Amino acid sequence: MRTLDYIAPESAADAIALLAEHGESARPLAGGTDLIVDLKHSPGNIHILVDVSGLEEFRGIEETDEGLRIGSMATYAEIMENPICLEKTPEVVAASHTVGAVQTRNLGTIGGNLVTCVPSADSAPALMVLDAEVTVAGTNGNRRMPIEEFFVGPRKTILQPHELLVDIWIPKKNLGKPSSFYKFGLRKGQALALVNVAAALELKSGKIVEPRIALGAVAPTPIRILKAETFLSGKKPTKKNIQEAARIAVTESKPIDDFRASASYRCQLIQTLTQRVLTRSLEIATAS
Amino acid sequence: MTYTSSIGIRVNGEVVEREVEDRLTLADFLRNELRLTGTHLGCEQGSCGACTVLVDGSAIRSCLTFASQLNGAEVTTVEGLASEEDLHPLQSAFLRNDALQCGFCTPGFLLTAAEILSETNDLDEGTIREAISGNICRCTGYQGIIDAIVEVARSGSER
Ligand SMILES: Cc1cc2nc3c(=O)[nH]c(=O)nc-3n(C[C@H](O)[C@H](O)[C@H](O)COP(=O)(O)OP(=O)(O)OC[C@H]3O[C@@H](n4cnc5c(N)ncnc54)[C@H](O)[C@@H]3O)c2cc1C
Ligand code: FES
Ligand code: FES
Repeated sequence: MRTLDYIAPESAADAIALLAEHGESARPLAGGTDLIVDLKHSPGNIHILVDVSGLEEFRGIEETDEGLRIGSMATYAEIMENPICLEKTPEVVAASHTVGAVQTRNLGTIGGNLVTCVPSADSAPALMVLDAEVTVAGTNGNRRMPIEEFFVGPRKTILQPHELLVDIWIPKKNLGKPSSFYKFGLRKGQALALVNVAAALELKSGKIVEPRIALGAVAPTPIRILKAETFLSGKKPTKKNIQEAARIAVTESKPIDDFRASASYRCQLIQTLTQRVLTRSLEIATAS
Repeated sequence: MTYTSSIGIRVNGEVVEREVEDRLTLADFLRNELRLTGTHLGCEQGSCGACTVLVDGSAIRSCLTFASQLNGAEVTTVEGLASEEDLHPLQSAFLRNDALQCGFCTPGFLLTAAEILSETNDLDEGTIREAISGNICRCTGYQGIIDAIVEVARSGSER
């Protein structure tokens, strides 16, 4: 590996200043499970690593009046053990559990997953269906945005080189919302998703309210299926309606052929798995 | 710019203070600088688990961690499992259950198993299979490894 300068700044402000000073030659380092692999294979112009994993401002998981705050530097292992996440966002926990294997989950952070921004990022769909927002900090201060706006393209987020992902917020009203996540890979262990999907919804007077559907690995970024959500909204939870929502999800997706699977196989997965997560969310909503 | 960091860590209980190159992975640090060659390198990209060590009790990939990141950490490698007199219960169980053939993957499996056993002895075969899914073995077909871990969990003898 080429020479690198590792710096562990003491505060987010120091980290931002370092990134602003060094531009494209500096990179934030979290758990390293994406970045260090990249540095070995295609280091590009990176010479300086700014370790943000220990920054207090980016750590921790807590519930406030606003909702649930997950620090960007929370590891999957931390999320999986966190009592608030286990109780109120069980599908974020389920999605975390599907990432890599234990050694990756002990190091890898949810923030690093979102910033790497591959279409198959497993934390994305489960967060998107809960209307998660993200906070970004840079030289001009902080800004908050819906998570969908954060994703720009494959491996491309809205972040400027001097900006950092601070935390992820799930609004209070969606804590405990009936939800379901499913990841389909070629193996059970340590496989990337061919398709991953999440749904969330409420049932009020026998009608579906505020349905959300999000899919990964089926388009350049993780996507919400707004048309299917609009279709389901106010509808009765019948098998036919669920099949139709899943059919819309297929037509709204643009999966590709690659060495893992063909686009047509992925379309079949989208149909089946979208039905599955909607049905499961309905079961949870009915039981609660 | 400085391309090195000074770190103070504990490796298998012993204090190690060094100036390390920032590009040095923990795996290379352990193998080349401390001559602890029990930590193996297979894929060097986080997939095979051969380089698994414990950092502050958690199993991690030492090929995907820089030594510079670890200032203040406690590292356990396979060399730290056995005592002067006795093998670690997991090592004995691996022997009894034919859980290794060439042995290349064994240090990684031992440390992954050590982490899960440090949390609970209440482990069924499914949980163990899931827990070792980040470790690859080309020889044994895994059953012996699973049997060995089950045996230690049942006997509750993990130290
Ligand atoms: C064996 C293996 C299996 C894997 N399996 C999966 C899987 O099943 N599913 C999955 O989704 N992913 C998987 N991954 C990918 C990876 O583990 C995850 O994406 C992980 O969450 C990345 O987080 P990290 O903390 O390691 O990030 P890092 O590698 O440290 O950083 C990733 C990127 O984010 C940037 N960054 C980090 N933190 C910040 C911040 N706070 N602000 C701004 N930028 C930041 C870094 O500069 C870098 O570009 C796997 C990786 C490996 C090695
Ligand atoms: S060498 Fe580190 S996981 Fe393969
Ligand atoms: S014993 Fe040879 S790789 Fe596992």
